[in-house]
Amino acid sequence: MRATYRVLALLIAAGVVVQAAFIAVAWFQVIHELDSGSVFDKNYEGNWGHMGHTIVGSGVIPLLAIVLLILSFFARIPGGVKWAAITFGVVALQFLFAALSFGAPIVGLLHGINAFVLAGVASIAARKARLAETATPVDADTPVATA
Amino acid sequence: MRQSVRIIIAVVAALAVLVPLGYFWFDSLVPSTYNMVAMGRPDSGGGPDAHRHGGLNVADLKGPSGTADVAVTLVARSENGRYTLNHVTPGPEIRARKGQLLEVTLINESVADGITLHWHGVDVPNAEDGVAGVTQDAVPRGGRYVYRFVAPDAGTYWYHSHQVSDDEVRKGLFGTLVVLPPTPLAAKVDTVLAVHTYDGRRTINGRAGVSPLAARPGDQVRARIVNTDAGPVRVWVSGADFSVAAVDGYDVNAPGPVADQAVVVTAGGRIDLAFTVPSSGAARVDVGAGAALAAGNAAGTPEPRSNVDLLRYGSPAPLGFDPGKATRRFDYKVGKWIGFLDGKPGMWWTVNGHLWPDVPMYMVTTGDIVRMTISNSSGEVHPMHLHGHHAVVLSRDGVAASGSPWWIDSLDVGDGESYEIAFVADNPGIWVDHCHNLKHAEEGLLAHLAYAGVDTPFRVGGKAGNQPE
Repeated sequence: MRATYRVLALLIAAGVVVQAAFIAVAWFQVIHELDSGSVFDKNYEGNWGHMGHTIVGSGVIPLLAIVLLILSFFARIPGGVKWAAITFGVVALQFLFAALSFGAPIVGLLHGINAFVLAGVASIAARKARLAETATPVDADTPVATA
Repeated sequence: MRQSVRIIIAVVAALAVLVPLGYFWFDSLVPSTYNMVAMGRPDSGGGPDAHRHGGLNVADLKGPSGTADVAVTLVARSENGRYTLNHVTPGPEIRARKGQLLEVTLINESVADGITLHWHGVDVPNAEDGVAGVTQDAVPRGGRYVYRFVAPDAGTYWYHSHQVSDDEVRKGLFGTLVVLPPTPLAAKVDTVLAVHTYDGRRTINGRAGVSPLAARPGDQVRARIVNTDAGPVRVWVSGADFSVAAVDGYDVNAPGPVADQAVVVTAGGRIDLAFTVPSSGAARVDVGAGAALAAGNAAGTPEPRSNVDLLRYGSPAPLGFDPGKATRRFDYKVGKWIGFLDGKPGMWWTVNGHLWPDVPMYMVTTGDIVRMTISNSSGEVHPMHLHGHHAVVLSRDGVAASGSPWWIDSLDVGDGESYEIAFVADNPGIWVDHCHNLKHAEEGLLAHLAYAGVDTPFRVGGKAGNQPE
């Protein structure tokens, strides 16, 4: 269970990298299309980069964060619940920054910075799991660290 | 702590996360078949309760019988990655005179998803409104549907499919309708500019770039601009001053001359521009992105920085009703929030704080004077379109309209803006009231206005596969 927790946390961190790659390719693709005379306006539906960013950002990563949180209740990792909850909170914040950025594009800076925060906290969660794995197996009577 | 206690705590914590999420997810699911009037939150706008369905059947609210003055047959096909009507897109331009009876026979030869025709801006009887799953079933391949209605008002209109509408309109299932006044217009050149973006190319009547405008020096021109796209289009005239003769089919009262300004045409909206070709013969109408109509090989002037403000343009005139005697007042607040839309997580449009399908159902009775405040805090502009009625703009951000009565059927409400509009409920039926960025309608920005006692036999989904958005 700890290994699963660790893999999930690492997947979230990796998801952030994927998101950066998707959004970069999305906008380079737009710029490239403009060169061939294409119009970028409200009719533009987005390309595969935008679609990937939406699917991973509003589907895959939130789902991983929820599963990580639930798993953390059972995994008995010192600090596991805390860091899973923080990861979940940072994902929620990322949604909020995205929502606000359409009306106030400057907030997009926070969306970009918060992505790295997410990668950071997910990595910490993964490290907590690894530490718990390598430590002596927890005695049945040892209290579960939840904070 | 004992192992069993620990597991119980973990299970309780897991449930505390899963149950609310699961509830929100489950609650967002929409049945595969449903009655539009059974969805949403009834809102009687502070007037007497009008939440009654049944009695009057939408399907019975048809146009008149008799011999048609203008009869048109439109055959819809899927060809070369586009949708065409009689092998062209935009479809044929239909012209009629005010008061004439139109009969349009729609035949679906090869559009797989089915089709309808909605008469955008024409206040037709409800059964002729062409909204799949609300006023009719989508016309399947091999099927046909006959629309009959009297052209009630002179002006510029358009028609388009209201079945899987984002995809079908985007790929060309639309055309224009011009209703001429009983007395001929002064303009010698009367031309329609249907603006549409096909595959990333903005076009006028299907042609990208600059096309010729057949007008000679001294000719008066009426350029009827129809925005069939998803976003606002800025239009300007080079070589001549112009006036905004009409908005959404309604003439502007005492329109003044405009120079060095552009006009914004709302998505779904229409603007008629009037100008006289100068003695040089060079005049040009630009709709942005390189698309223009030019007479005498006119070069375009740079795009003007400012826009004509229709809130102040022209002179006041009687409205024909008193918005001060409103019997119902509604709010249509557009926002954006995190949630599930039919089980799909994401950031979705909200109306009055709720995601579709928990959007308002605005209930009215015939004869009501209705005021509606449309506000937007969603981060993007929304071209709001009410079917079956024309509304007049009373104010924007609390500033009262001071120009000509500004009648609209499609109104851009920008992020952070708030408009108050008013209309008379004089056309019984069930009328969708939605964002005409049709992708947004698909994403749940679609409410409806329902008259007390009216019900529909049609269903969204179902055997006909009705999908009005």
